[in-house]
Order: sequence, then structure tokens, then C-alpha cells
Amino acid sequence: MKNPTNPTQGQAPQMPQINPRETLKTFAVIAILVLAFSNFSLVVDLVVNLLIFIYQLVGKNFGIAIILLTVLIRLATWPLNAQQMKSSKAMQELQNDKEWLGIQKKYAKDREKLAQEQMRLYRERGINVFGSCLPTMIQFPILFALIPSITYAIGSYPLSILKLSKSLETFGLQDVVSLIPLNSKFLGIDMGLPEKTLIFGFSIPILAVVVGLTTFIQTKLTMPPSANPGDQSAATTKMMSIYMPVMLFFFSVNYAAGLSVYFVASNVLSIIQYAMMGKVNWRNLLPGGQKPK
Amino acid sequence: MRKKKLFVAISLILLVAALSGCTGAIAWPGLSATAEVAYLAHTNAVYAIDIKTHNELWKFSGAKAGFTLFNTNPSMFIAAPVTTSDGLVVILDSSNKHVMYAVDPKDFNPNDNNPAPKIVWEFSNAKGLWIAPPLEVGNLLFAPNSDGNVYVLDLTDGKSGKQAVEVIAVSQPGGDEARLWGQPVTDGERLFVTALDKTVTAIDLATYKVLWHADLGGAVPGGFALGGDGMLYVGSLAKQLERFDPATGEHTPVLDTNGWIWGTPVADGDNLYFADVDGYFYSYNTAEQKLNWEPVQPDSSITANPLVLGDKVLVATESGKVFAFDSTGNFDVWYTPDQEGKAYTTPVIAGDTVLVAYLESDYYLVALDQDGDKKWNFPE
Repeated sequence: MKNPTNPTQGQAPQMPQINPRETLKTFAVIAILVLAFSNFSLVVDLVVNLLIFIYQLVGKNFGIAIILLTVLIRLATWPLNAQQMKSSKAMQELQNDKEWLGIQKKYAKDREKLAQEQMRLYRERGINVFGSCLPTMIQFPILFALIPSITYAIGSYPLSILKLSKSLETFGLQDVVSLIPLNSKFLGIDMGLPEKTLIFGFSIPILAVVVGLTTFIQTKLTMPPSANPGDQSAATTKMMSIYMPVMLFFFSVNYAAGLSVYFVASNVLSIIQYAMMGKVNWRNLLPGGQKPK
Repeated sequence: MRKKKLFVAISLILLVAALSGCTGAIAWPGLSATAEVAYLAHTNAVYAIDIKTHNELWKFSGAKAGFTLFNTNPSMFIAAPVTTSDGLVVILDSSNKHVMYAVDPKDFNPNDNNPAPKIVWEFSNAKGLWIAPPLEVGNLLFAPNSDGNVYVLDLTDGKSGKQAVEVIAVSQPGGDEARLWGQPVTDGERLFVTALDKTVTAIDLATYKVLWHADLGGAVPGGFALGGDGMLYVGSLAKQLERFDPATGEHTPVLDTNGWIWGTPVADGDNLYFADVDGYFYSYNTAEQKLNWEPVQPDSSITANPLVLGDKVLVATESGKVFAFDSTGNFDVWYTPDQEGKAYTTPVIAGDTVLVAYLESDYYLVALDQDGDKKWNFPE
């Protein structure tokens, strides 16, 4: 690829050229997000119906239904996740590239110039800067819809049953009367309520701890190795590996155990997907495993 | 780098907050009143409101739980509080703490920043959610729970940590868990209990033995009504009103409805009033065994029980409006809220005031006079 704006030649800096294909992709994702959030109740109804359909299919077991739904979501978003992994890896590699490091050093005091040079490199290497976040963003409506879906579908409280019936009536595919009461128990845990187990008189949120642990392991395992101590992307990922498990732990402590099952299943499936693509970094689990080689 | 860390942390907190907001309301308020005080169980607290001054007397949020981070596992109050004959108010924590409290409504310090009533006793042995208000019979309290048991508590044992004197299992072996969501009813000899597992049960009050058990083909979230003809009436999600012989449990469906019957029918002489979630209101004559008039659909879904007020029957609908029906089936809008809100809870009468509880509204409670004009709202 030719470089249309070579700043090294001392010309006036120009705006980086826009890649029409990437722009189209970005707009498509934004359009899907706007469409999904403006019809959010329909997305919720869809997820509720799917969840209840699976629930009936697996012999009225909500835990298994949530796990299977997670598998379905993972399979549906597999190409997106694969693209995300590819983009993240490319970004990671670029940040360890000599040319990248060179421009960081050279234009450290000129942010505008630095940004232009970074864009040039992205273009030259065929990297979409949104490539790693767009696939995540497109999954947001599903994640947001899952929360009310699980709460309504399990029907632990009166209003959730009414909402469930309205959701199911939208598509008219399920016999609501025969469904109620739903079996909300999985491994002795009520999927509709925050889980707490009494151990030696202390109320311990075991499932939330498992969510925190699996999130931590998942982020650690999927963290690409960094050869550059100043690598910003690696530093951000490292931060995420601490904050994310903590946040999801607190979230799981407060919300329906069914959501915790979703988070755990999602983390495990994510590790499996990375492993199948040969991108799991087992060394990261060892102390000092992330140190530059 | 520090700024970046802060940015990531704030982004994650915002994401969690956004996710938290996705759940929405999952339960409607519980409401009861004496002539002087309204007790409103709304989300994370029970409020005692003086009906004359419309001031908040106290607010009860459960026993102090010590240090909690991010307000983890808060209590939830949705069942109508019950005032017992000894003057205590029984409050149910409908979170997964499964605690029942009895508080002394008069024992609080009004000068405190957040006045709270004194807890007189607690019961925490139930395994499921408290949804249904308990029923006091003699010195005993019969408390149905979502774990399928009716817990019998002795109100006179003087213990601060109550133990059930009897646990009556309502779930049938091999069947679904009988979540008990409706307040029991008694005819003095028997206790009648409804369950979400589509069954209803009669229990002998003397022996606590199950006398009869019947399957209605649809979950029964409401309770029984004792009709003027001495028979029991109950509606279910099977869209039928059933009549039961209290002694034998023999039952027959007497009316098909348009939608699920959620609430408890209300008996007034020979008339039985009830509604369905499709928004139809019914008036059934138990003596003649026929509808007094064709069902009427005022506007939206109805989960609340009707309220008989003199010569009219009030019905609160999901839209938040309250409709007044006369004996011929004519109706008009009795009250239209000036704020958006949903009315799923049964209105109650306190002296000459009608109280209506709202969900998803700035007003938790609205007090109306006998003509449907607003007197005050809570919070003000």
C-alpha cells in the first residue's frame, strides 16, 4: 500500500484517508446498535422466548438453559470474536513494532503529529482501530437484554411473571399457563435470586466468587504477551484483568444467580474459543508470566 | 497512566451501573392500613405514614446488617404488612434473606434522623421468598412461603427469635414446588391455601393435617374468597373461576374468563367481584350462579383486588387510573393520577381515605377522599 501522506518529507500534515470498507462496517455496527436499543423490548422478548424454548427443550432446567443460550450466543458471535482477537493481536504486534516505537519517541511532544503517524501505520498494516471494540459493542444489546430476560423468565416475583407472559405472548409460541411455575433451581441454587451459601455461619456468595475467578483467569489467559514494557495496550489489558473481575463479582453478588451462570459459562467458552484458535497464553497464569521475555 | 486507570475504572463502574438499570422493577408494593397509619412496603423499605398529617412516622429497612459494600444484598419489601391483634406490625423481607419481622409501630424515636421502629421478634427459618401476607388466627400466625410450607408461629410465646410451632408442607411429593403467593383464608375450622403449582389445599386448623387438595390446571397467585353462599371461590391462570365446597373440596368451574385471574375475588353479599389481567372486570352472583352483567374492560391489565366502597366498587388498573363501578355495571374514571405510575396493588381504606400505591411513579402512595379527589401524596 502506498503512503499518500508521507510526513517525513516535510510536507504540511494531511488528514488520513478514510477506508470506505471500514467506515461502512463502523456505520453498520452503529446502525445495528441504534436499531437494537430503540427496539430494546423486542430484543428482550426475543431472548426471553429463546431462553424459555431451550428451558422446555432441556426438561425444565434453567441452569442448563442459560448455559446453552450462552453457547448459542457465543457461536453466533464467533466470527465477531475471531475478528476481535485478530484485531487485538495486530494492535498488540504493532505496538511492539520498531517503527511504532520510533514514532512514539519522535513525536512524543507533538500529539497531533503522533496521531497522524499512528493512523498512517494502522492504514499501512491494514488495521481497523475499531476492529477490537466494534465486535464487543455489537454484543452489548444481547448482554443488556439478557439481564431483564433472565429476571423475567425465572419469575421469582409477581411482576416478573406478568412481564414473562407478555414477552411470550409477543410471539405466541409457548403455552404460558403450563410453564408456570418455572423451575428456577439449578444445583440447589435459585437462579432468580442472588446466591449466598452459609459456610460456618458466614454468608458467602460462592457463585459470585466463581464469576470473579473465571473472569480473572479468562482475561489473564487471553492477554497477549508483550515485549515492550511501555506497551499501553498491554497496560490497559492488565488493568482490565484486575478491575473487570472485581466489578463482575460485585454485580453478581447483587443480581440473579442466573446471570452469574451466564458470566461463568461465557468466560469458560471464551477460554475454549481462544484455545481452539491457539491464542491462550497459559504462562500468564504463572507468577511473573507476563514479564517481558 | 493514573488518568488511564481512573478512566478504565470509571468506564467499568458505568457499565455495571448501566447493566444494573436493565433489570427494572420486579415486584409491586404491598399496602395495608389502620384508621390512623398506612404501612407501605415499597422496594427497599416499609414506610409508616400518618394518614391525618401525611407525615412519614418511620421507615424500616430491615435489621442492621453491619458494613456492606455497594449496598450488596439489600432487603426487599413487597408484601402488605399485617397488623396483629397485639398491636405489632408483621413485615416480610422478600429478598433472599427470608426474614419475617414484627415491629412495635409505636416504639420509635421521632427525633432520630431516620426514625425506625423497634424489632420485637424475628423469624428466619423459611427457605423461600415471602410474597404472601400471613394470616392471624387466634394466637397463631399462619405464614405461607415460596418454599411450599405454611409456617405456624405462636404470637404469645414472648420469644424474640421465633421458631415455628408447626411447618405444614403444601407441596405434593414429586410435584412442582408449591410457591405460596396468596394470603390464606379461614372459615374458623380450616385454612385454605393457594399455590403456584396449580393447586389449592385445605388444612385442618386443629390438627394441621391436609384435608383436601385440588389441581386447578393453572397457577393460583391470588387467594380464596368466602362467598355469601358459604362456598369458596378462587381464580387461576387457567382463566377460570372455581367454586369449592370448603368441607369436601369438591369443585366446579363456574365461569371462563378472558384472561388470567391474578387477584383474590371480593365477596359482598351475594356478589363476587374480580378482574383479570386482560383488564376485564366481572360481577358474579353466587346465589343465582350467573354474571350480573357482561364483563367490562375499563382500560388496562388488572392485578389488584377490587375494593367495595359503599355502593360502588373501585378497581385500580395498570394504567394507574381507578375506576368506580355501580351495581349495574356502569363505570366512570374515579381517579386519574397526575403523575405517571402503575397500579398493581390492591387499594385500601383507612377511615374515610382511600389509599392507592403506585409503582414506577414519583408518588409511592396517593390518598383520595370518598369522591376520588386527591388529598395528598407520599412522598410529597
